[in-house]
Amino acid sequence: MAASGKLMSVTRDWRERDVRVVLVALVIAVATVATIALFAGQLQRTLVSSASSFLAADRQLEAENGLPIPPEWLDEAEARGLETGQMVEFSTMVFGEGGFQLVSVKAVSDEYPLRGDIETQSGNQAPRDTVDRGPGPGEVWVNPRLLRLLELNIGDTLEVGNLELDITRLLIREPDGGFRLSSLAPRVMMHVDDVAGTGVVQEGSRVEYVYLFAGAEPMLEDYYHWLQPQLAPSHEWEGVQDGETFSRSLQRAERFLLLGGSLAVLLAAVAVAVASRQYALSQRDTVALLKTLGLSSRGIGGLYLRRLSLWGVVGILGGLAVALPLFWLLVSLLSDVLERPVDLYLDPAAVMPALLTAVVSLFAFAYPPIRRLRSVPAMRVLRAQPGESGREVIPDMVLAVLAVFGLVWMYAGEFTLVVALLGGLALLLVVLAMLGWGMVAVLRRVQGGGNAWRLALVGLYRHRRSSMAQMAVFAMTLMLAATLVLVRSSLLDDWQAQLPENAPNHFLINIAPDAVDDVEGFWHRQGAPLEALYPMVRGRLTELNGEPVKEVVSKDERIGALNRELNLTWMGSLPEDNQIVSGQWFGQGQTEGVSVEAELAAKLGLKLGDRLTFTIGASRVTEPVTSIRTVQWDSMKPNFYMAFPPGGGLADMPATWITSFFLGPDQKLALNDFSRAFPTVSVLEIDHIIDRIQQIVRQVTQAIEAILALILAAALVVMAAVVSATLRDRQREGALLRTLGGRQSLLVRSTMLEFALLGFVAGALGVVAAEGAVYALQAGMFEGEFRWHWQVVLPVPVIAGVLLAILGRWQLQPVLSVSPMLLLRRLE
Amino acid sequence: MNQMTDLRKTDNRPMLRVSDLTHRVSLETDTLTILQGVSLEINRGESVAIVGRSGSGKTTLLGLLAGLDTPSEGTVELDGSVISTLSEDERAKLRARRVGFVFQSFQLLPALSALENVMLPLELAGMESPQQRARELLERVGLGERLNHTPRQLSGGEQQRVAIARAFASDPVVMFADEPTGNLDNRTGQAVSDLLMELNREQGTTLVMVTHDEHLAARCGRQLHIEAGLLTEPETAGEPEI
Ligand SMILES: Nc1ncnc2c1ncn2[C@@H]1O[C@H](COP(=O)(O)OP(=O)(O)OP(=O)(O)O)[C@@H](O)[C@H]1O
Ligand SMILES: [Mg+2]
Repeated sequence: MAASGKLMSVTRDWRERDVRVVLVALVIAVATVATIALFAGQLQRTLVSSASSFLAADRQLEAENGLPIPPEWLDEAEARGLETGQMVEFSTMVFGEGGFQLVSVKAVSDEYPLRGDIETQSGNQAPRDTVDRGPGPGEVWVNPRLLRLLELNIGDTLEVGNLELDITRLLIREPDGGFRLSSLAPRVMMHVDDVAGTGVVQEGSRVEYVYLFAGAEPMLEDYYHWLQPQLAPSHEWEGVQDGETFSRSLQRAERFLLLGGSLAVLLAAVAVAVASRQYALSQRDTVALLKTLGLSSRGIGGLYLRRLSLWGVVGILGGLAVALPLFWLLVSLLSDVLERPVDLYLDPAAVMPALLTAVVSLFAFAYPPIRRLRSVPAMRVLRAQPGESGREVIPDMVLAVLAVFGLVWMYAGEFTLVVALLGGLALLLVVLAMLGWGMVAVLRRVQGGGNAWRLALVGLYRHRRSSMAQMAVFAMTLMLAATLVLVRSSLLDDWQAQLPENAPNHFLINIAPDAVDDVEGFWHRQGAPLEALYPMVRGRLTELNGEPVKEVVSKDERIGALNRELNLTWMGSLPEDNQIVSGQWFGQGQTEGVSVEAELAAKLGLKLGDRLTFTIGASRVTEPVTSIRTVQWDSMKPNFYMAFPPGGGLADMPATWITSFFLGPDQKLALNDFSRAFPTVSVLEIDHIIDRIQQIVRQVTQAIEAILALILAAALVVMAAVVSATLRDRQREGALLRTLGGRQSLLVRSTMLEFALLGFVAGALGVVAAEGAVYALQAGMFEGEFRWHWQVVLPVPVIAGVLLAILGRWQLQPVLSVSPMLLLRRLE
Repeated sequence: MNQMTDLRKTDNRPMLRVSDLTHRVSLETDTLTILQGVSLEINRGESVAIVGRSGSGKTTLLGLLAGLDTPSEGTVELDGSVISTLSEDERAKLRARRVGFVFQSFQLLPALSALENVMLPLELAGMESPQQRARELLERVGLGERLNHTPRQLSGGEQQRVAIARAFASDPVVMFADEPTGNLDNRTGQAVSDLLMELNREQGTTLVMVTHDEHLAARCGRQLHIEAGLLTEPETAGEPEI
């Protein structure tokens, strides 16, 4: 043991090439995994907080029972360090010079909004400005349409119940203006302290209390944990993630980050594996020497374990020294994109996977060959074949692969992901083995000759063992990189498709049936044609198969759709983006039945044939469920839970029409003319929401690009490490070939060709395997449709070939630049 | 010695002509002169041993003679070409066609079989089907049964025999050997040097060999003594004229 201790020397180790390669691989492994994990954590927080403005908070607690929540709940939240705020929403009549009007009031506390800001105008012609708090007591901000309807001006007073409030600003948009089409009436925003004075809100009146919460994610979760048992069915706790519109985009972004991180883990493992295994095999002579010097096999085992641990520590420290500045750089890039400062969020737990990856792959790949060597007689160590026999390697590999996938599993915790990647890699190796076998059979026939092609092919055959090993690593690396490229492009395509450049960004609501043609004509003339128009009837789902629906549905279920009035419609044909999941869409001339949105149907436990009763005004309509369909909530088009056939249950009900359309920023002035011409039609402007979503998508895209770049860089370094792993052999061979009369140009061309071939084949295999993995991921994680990505599949093999040819050339440089004499001296 | 005379080729130009060869290498602080003012001629079919103490510059001289390196001063003319003025690629071409090498440490490629190692120079010379010739040579050196063994599976003597087969494969006119028996025990060394001399005779090759083995040196037609970079033995010693 003492003797082996003296054999440890960091400086001496550092002089060994293989050791340096191992250390570089460790640094890269730790750096990529840690950077991506840290950045993913940061990005997720940033995204959630930037999407939080849609709620004006991080969480909302809605009380739909018309009663305020117990004050202790808010006290508790504040005691836990959360910010809170309050809103009261109700409808009422307001009075002005020009008459009265039904409005939808939102009364807010001083803290509102906790997230996001409010856009206002100080006069009709004044520029829009953003403020971060609502009206004070005694003030009221109103929708511009209301001013027109009531013939009022800024500075006038507005009568809300018993109170006269000063109109101080025009309310253009509120952060949580959302999509709720229920707010047909113009908006009035006032201070929550004035609500009591109006006398409008009394026991039993329809009013909704909404409470806002903001704070750190774990605190919010703890608080909800505390709160949950006390909530009544009418209480709804909402986070951004639950919002219908953004959840999908956010979820996918998160998954992408997860995938990126997992790929980083895999790549890192490959890098460390290749380097450490190469090192272990190169230690053969040293182990033999140590044995002849009389070191026991235990001593040898201990020596190498200590060495590996030492490098593990050095590599990890080096990796962190790279990761932290890199992370800081990425975060500052992120805040540039967001145009606002981002709080640096350094989660120590995020670096754990990096450390584990480095350590596990270091030991799993380097130790087994050494452990085996130490029990072999010295003579046999010296005489053993270069490389090792397959039978010995298999248990090592099984162990190592299990270790690596354990790591990915631990990192991602996502079964589909692990299986897709494992499957892709397994497929790759099977194909590779078959291909390798075939290649060897073909190449065997190639006879040597003075031309570069033949020499390259002969080289591939002669070095089949290391060629195949290199090809396997290249193919795996390229597969991982290609997977990320593919997922990225399909993710971006998907987002693009979801929110095209001119996605509808305005809704028109409350169009009277006889005004439909005029409204359509108006916008047609403005060059902003309307999407499909739908009739809308407001009604409540009251009975299910003759039983009151509230009794049928379990009390624990909080179903917002039952508490509010639903928007009912009729339509002849199924909208393009809806899909029937069971039953049949209405046939020609069919008037019976109702089609229900799938998630609501699931919550209510509806089956085909269940009879639903709706209360619409004073009438009741009962229809059987004839189909269940999915809806694209984020399509920015009117969507309906319940659809009837034309001439069906809703035929005689009072309907207004609703539609959406795209209006460019330069066309917005037309809204003024429109409002004058059609004062009763409500315009819901959601362009800022769409902008916001697009901004989020841009952020995520940038982040994805950054992570992709990081992964590609890591992949490149892995391949360079693999190429340089054979450097010594190649140099020796190159020197010898030159003494034997090989010309430099021949050497260069044959080496480049050899690598180009390797790269091309590895690239082709890798990208096909990547498509396989993406297919699995797409099916399991990203819910997109699979298609071949020719724009990626075709260039990858070529790029890989060129890249490796360059790497090969670079590796050959030392052989070419010195006289063969010197090489022979040095290599002796 | 008599045999040498019989096998002498008739071309009367010397195979190697070296005039005023000086070689220096620059070290960190100063320059080291390894060879100084070496002039010599070696005729076709001759066998010459270069002897001298360790570090005297034998390997350096051999490398310069073979065109593996270019001298600081002076010229080397090999088979009519002044190699000291050729480009690296031109020298490579010359080596491929006319020069064979045997090294002290064998220098076989570990990943290649014996057969493949011998085929290497044939392939470089552009031969279409080098296998047959390589096989014959390996049979000639007594390794017909070990064609597919890799160097690690062969003993030192066997490896050097493969190296000799490889050196003769491309039918060289001049053979350079740097302590070909230096890594072998006496008996094996004896067998290997026998083989080298035999093949040299059969092929009519000019042989230039560095050796510490006096026995082996004595078997050569002439001995050149080097001491501290200077050629000390007059090159006429024991040399019959043409
Ligand atoms: N590139 C070089 N840089 C520095 N010194 C060199 C270089 N090449 C040769 N030498 C030195 O020149 C001297 C002659 O070297 P050379 O290898 O020719 O000796 P040698 O006669 O072959 O010795 P040996 O019998 O031990 O092989 C030695 O002292 C050696 O260290
Ligand atoms: Mg020497």
